[in-house]
Amino acid sequence: MTRRFIVEPRGLASLRLRILVPVLSVLAALIVSGVFLAITGENPLAVYGEMIDAAFGSGRGISETLISSTPLILTGVAAALAFKMLVWNIGGEGQFIMGAVFASGVAIWLGPGAPAAIALPVVIVAGGLGGAAWASVAAIPRVYLGTNEIITTLMLNFIALSFMNFLIFGSSSPWRDPAVSTFPSGRPIPDNARLPEFFNRLDIGIFIAIVLAVAAWWLIGKTRWGFAVRIVGDSPATAEYVGITVPKKILAVFLLSGAAAGLAGGLFVSGPVGALDPRSLDLGLGFTGIIVAALAGLNLIAVIPVAILMGALNNAGPSLQSIGVPTATVTMMQGAILIFAVAGEFFIRHRIRRPKREPEAEGLAEAATA
Amino acid sequence: MNESVLLLTIVAAIGLGTPLIFATVGEIITERAGILNLGVQGMMLIGAVTGFWATFQTGNLILGVVVAMACASALSAVHAFTSVTLRVNQIVSGLALALFGSGLASFLGRAGSNPLVGNPSRAEFEPLIEGGIADIPVVGPLLFGHDILVYVSWLVAGAASYYLFRTKMGLSLRAVGEDPASAEASGIDVGKVRYIHVMIGGALAGLGGAYFSLALTPTWQDDPIGAAGWIAIALVILASWRPWRAVFAAYLFGAAERVQFTLQTLGEPWSDIPSTILAMLPFVLAIVAMIVLTSGKRARFLGAPEALGIPYHREQR
Repeated sequence: MTRRFIVEPRGLASLRLRILVPVLSVLAALIVSGVFLAITGENPLAVYGEMIDAAFGSGRGISETLISSTPLILTGVAAALAFKMLVWNIGGEGQFIMGAVFASGVAIWLGPGAPAAIALPVVIVAGGLGGAAWASVAAIPRVYLGTNEIITTLMLNFIALSFMNFLIFGSSSPWRDPAVSTFPSGRPIPDNARLPEFFNRLDIGIFIAIVLAVAAWWLIGKTRWGFAVRIVGDSPATAEYVGITVPKKILAVFLLSGAAAGLAGGLFVSGPVGALDPRSLDLGLGFTGIIVAALAGLNLIAVIPVAILMGALNNAGPSLQSIGVPTATVTMMQGAILIFAVAGEFFIRHRIRRPKREPEAEGLAEAATA
Repeated sequence: MNESVLLLTIVAAIGLGTPLIFATVGEIITERAGILNLGVQGMMLIGAVTGFWATFQTGNLILGVVVAMACASALSAVHAFTSVTLRVNQIVSGLALALFGSGLASFLGRAGSNPLVGNPSRAEFEPLIEGGIADIPVVGPLLFGHDILVYVSWLVAGAASYYLFRTKMGLSLRAVGEDPASAEASGIDVGKVRYIHVMIGGALAGLGGAYFSLALTPTWQDDPIGAAGWIAIALVILASWRPWRAVFAAYLFGAAERVQFTLQTLGEPWSDIPSTILAMLPFVLAIVAMIVLTSGKRARFLGAPEALGIPYHREQR
């Protein structure tokens, strides 16, 4: 062996390392994006300064950042839940949209007469059901026929998007506002189904999202059922051996993941958007949830602060236009963050050492592979 | 159906299917090496924007295509690094590539003081043969009326097929994708083979992207390729990892994308079907085909590379 470094698997990574790697991932992504900004004639530091100011520089900025973060907490939970169990649900986007479709549909159907104490919970639950129902289209073939869920969930994203466009642009559905004839838009949902606001435009959806993330963490980490699910995620063969019905667990996790993304959609329409408005809902929040989950190391609690960071980026995007920088800067940065976050997994899983002397190193390398 | 409408639909399907052929054959080559690269959408978009940019600067189409392939290939090398060298999760890494590529392409199209967005290309791929045999009814438009890249796409599919199944290097490639440990034992450098073929796949995806910005819609816009990169990933399975089948699968999906225009020309009642519903057609088709083709025992005969998506640890052989 003439290698100068020895790479060996690491057991459990320390908490310090598990925090350091994502932080460095974000810094590395800032540097890469900075290079592209510099190439196109922008001052990266000025751009980043503008973004921080837009996201956190004022009370309004902070409230808008938290509004953007709310759906990301839940789409992040959706991805983390699924990926932990090796269920590759890439369909958060579509499940988010269907959650929004169900929630706004139920809100409109209930009408302005229903008391808020009933309308709100029903609408939110409808969002979760919509997401779970949409996930089931991919989950059932996956579990009972072995159909690869990566591609089915991906394709379902586009179908959901077209379906939402159909409801608003392609038909005179109940979701479409009959009062506006100039440009098709979503019918505003009644006030009794809207989440109460408490700080500028920020509504209580943020608390619901945080509570749900903690609940998901508790369900997976602290209950008997969650323990069984984790065994399935680590090794389906072992799970089978100890008598766990694996397909049922995979189906449940898949549907829960869809429900989380659907809840994100439900909270988003009954919160800041207030209607099934394709332009406000087609923001890639499902995909961004995958970034949140990866950067959080699939930890359901870490999803919360990471979602706030991504929400800050999303919120800062439009403000860049005022200084002549494309909003797509944010997408580029988020993509770069995900690349570095996934590469960083290597450093969490492995230890890299430099051997002191060659013969000794040989022995160590062999010991490490044994 | 009116005969000329049918002909027009097929000709359009060939055009729309061409970028899918490039991207799908590229992904087939990548996956045959055992690497799943879900970043096709990002690589295609990078190819689309850099190819457009190079042609916009120089007026040279060939240069545009070369730059598109080189840049997309460079992006795919990032995926090769994470999945071959770092051996991290290929699914997440591929998605990262897709997101980064889309963001970067959109950024590059809008950045700077003279952004590309909204500008028409200075040159575009035109039909290779004007008049003559291209004017023969039916056969002319079907076979002779295309731009050069359509013929290149047939060539690429044929060459890939020959390479995979008739050459020694193709055999090594398939060995790496099926059983990397045995391949390595027989003296094949698994890492090198994987790097090379991920990057070939990237270059072909870039070519597919450039076909959009230099032939299909030669004006730069933010989202010039639709969902082609995602469709290509599904087409790999429908083509059961065989380049020739990718050609037919790509044309089928090209036709599915074209259906909304075709139905409009047919008049009522066909033209009453909302375009938002017809837009779902390619995706519904992909899901149905996936479920039918890959379910249960049938999946075994489909020919997925055995080691697809599994990181290879030389030390843990």
